[in-house]
Amino acid sequence: MNMNSLMIITDQRRVGGMLNAVKALGGPITAAVVGPRSLADTVSAWGFERVLCLEPAQGVPAEAYSAQVAEVAAAIAPRLLLASDAASSRMLLAAAAAKLNANVIGAVRALSVDGDAIVISRSTADDKVLEDIEAAGSVAGIFSGADVDVITTQPVSVEQIAADSSTNMRLIGVVESEGGNGMLTAARVVGVGAGLAAKDDLKLIEELAAAARAEIGCSLPVCEDLRWLSEHRVIGSSHSQVSPELYIALGISGQPQHMTGVRDAKIVVAINNDPEARVFKFCNYGIIGDLYKIVPALISAFKNMNG
Amino acid sequence: MKVVVIFKWCRNPQDALVGASGNVDWPGVKMSANDDDPAVMDIAKVLAGDDEIVALTIGDGDIAWAAARGAASTVVVTDALTDVNSTATGAVLAAAIKRIEDVGVVIIGDSAWDYGIVSAFVGQLGWPAMAAVTSAELDQGSLHVTCKMGGVSHVLEIKTPVVLAVMATQTEQSEPSMKQVLMARKKPVEKITIADLGFSPNFAEVTSLRTRFPDTPPAILYDGADPASACKQLMAALHNDGVL
Repeated sequence: MNMNSLMIITDQRRVGGMLNAVKALGGPITAAVVGPRSLADTVSAWGFERVLCLEPAQGVPAEAYSAQVAEVAAAIAPRLLLASDAASSRMLLAAAAAKLNANVIGAVRALSVDGDAIVISRSTADDKVLEDIEAAGSVAGIFSGADVDVITTQPVSVEQIAADSSTNMRLIGVVESEGGNGMLTAARVVGVGAGLAAKDDLKLIEELAAAARAEIGCSLPVCEDLRWLSEHRVIGSSHSQVSPELYIALGISGQPQHMTGVRDAKIVVAINNDPEARVFKFCNYGIIGDLYKIVPALISAFKNMNG
Repeated sequence: MKVVVIFKWCRNPQDALVGASGNVDWPGVKMSANDDDPAVMDIAKVLAGDDEIVALTIGDGDIAWAAARGAASTVVVTDALTDVNSTATGAVLAAAIKRIEDVGVVIIGDSAWDYGIVSAFVGQLGWPAMAAVTSAELDQGSLHVTCKMGGVSHVLEIKTPVVLAVMATQTEQSEPSMKQVLMARKKPVEKITIADLGFSPNFAEVTSLRTRFPDTPPAILYDGADPASACKQLMAALHNDGVL
């Protein structure tokens, strides 16, 4: 049974995780990069059988090439089409999936083969469980699983695709985030939630961030309801999605909107006085206790570590 | 130009009951407005101006939800439900949109509740589409759309017809009054079924085999009654993980 796969790539996020998942199918894997040539060159050394590159014209978003990507997908006729949950990737996958008459499945975490069928494991029920789904025909998956490091190999040559010049959308402006956004590249982030009692207590959080050499983020209510921190500090599915080595959640309940924003963190630590808080189901380590007692101890621990 | 909003197209995953063996049940759970649906209505009102907003929903949710927030009328596909096959749901929504004349913009919540349905719908409709949309406006007849792209926002000029998948950046700022809710129940509602849409899906079957708990180990929890001891254990664990 043909198990060839086509991966739509608009940025590097989750590509390692997707590759890891697709390798379970055993067939050849083609990358269709819709983005700068430098991205395609990077990806070309990641073990793909073929790498195609459609470089958008200046001021044209990737989504403008949906129909062209769908034609590429039709020519390759993959059994599996896969893209990350990045907005532009999902829109490109949409057109290609329709062209292939493929079943679209979201929240894909893992893949396997059972006879002629592809078995897709997807997250469901608020990330509490995995659902194994068997698909007989073509599948278009939106991958939201963990990213993994990629082992580089001998690069394959990148096949350039000429971008269609007709477009129905164009970029007319870019709005930078107010105050910049160091959280996006920070190795450590401290996130504060509504468990903090008063705005003045942010000084304690700032002290911890300084000791841990971390950026400060927050949950949506701290910005929107309490107005203690500005919008560019909000971590969540509708704001900044961060990928630090270490994320420390302080007084954060763990609502899905927020936890989606830290899904790519390597290690998540939660500190909360409610043992039933949802955040403890989605962290690696937790301390159940009063953050006003834990945070000073944590500041001391980081200071001792730093010498 | 008519603006169509799609609302309550999925059940809230937080309402699912998960049993001890990892089985999932949805007892009495109806279609629900997701976090992005209020933002969908806000943008629809900006774009529609004096034109009418038509609302589309599926299944058994509160039909008057969008009407109470400004929609002139509502279409409901009564026998369509979300299930394992997002493509089927997307195809139903697309077929229902195609029945409505003179549509310039379709707006749907870009909800992580089920990205699969949003993508399936966009693909089945076949229109240009943008996701992660945070605002939109008409500027001298041109549609300008702002989309969140990582740490920045891109402003795009887009030709219609188009699908905008909207991402809320704040919770609903003003819920409709009781009077608006009551008035909404008097607005026109067209109830149709999948059979009325006259389409035949041509994609292969997908089957749910099982649900199960993930293999990931549960969190290691420390008792914070002794903060210094808890932090010492935590720091040792973080050292072992190589993140310090």
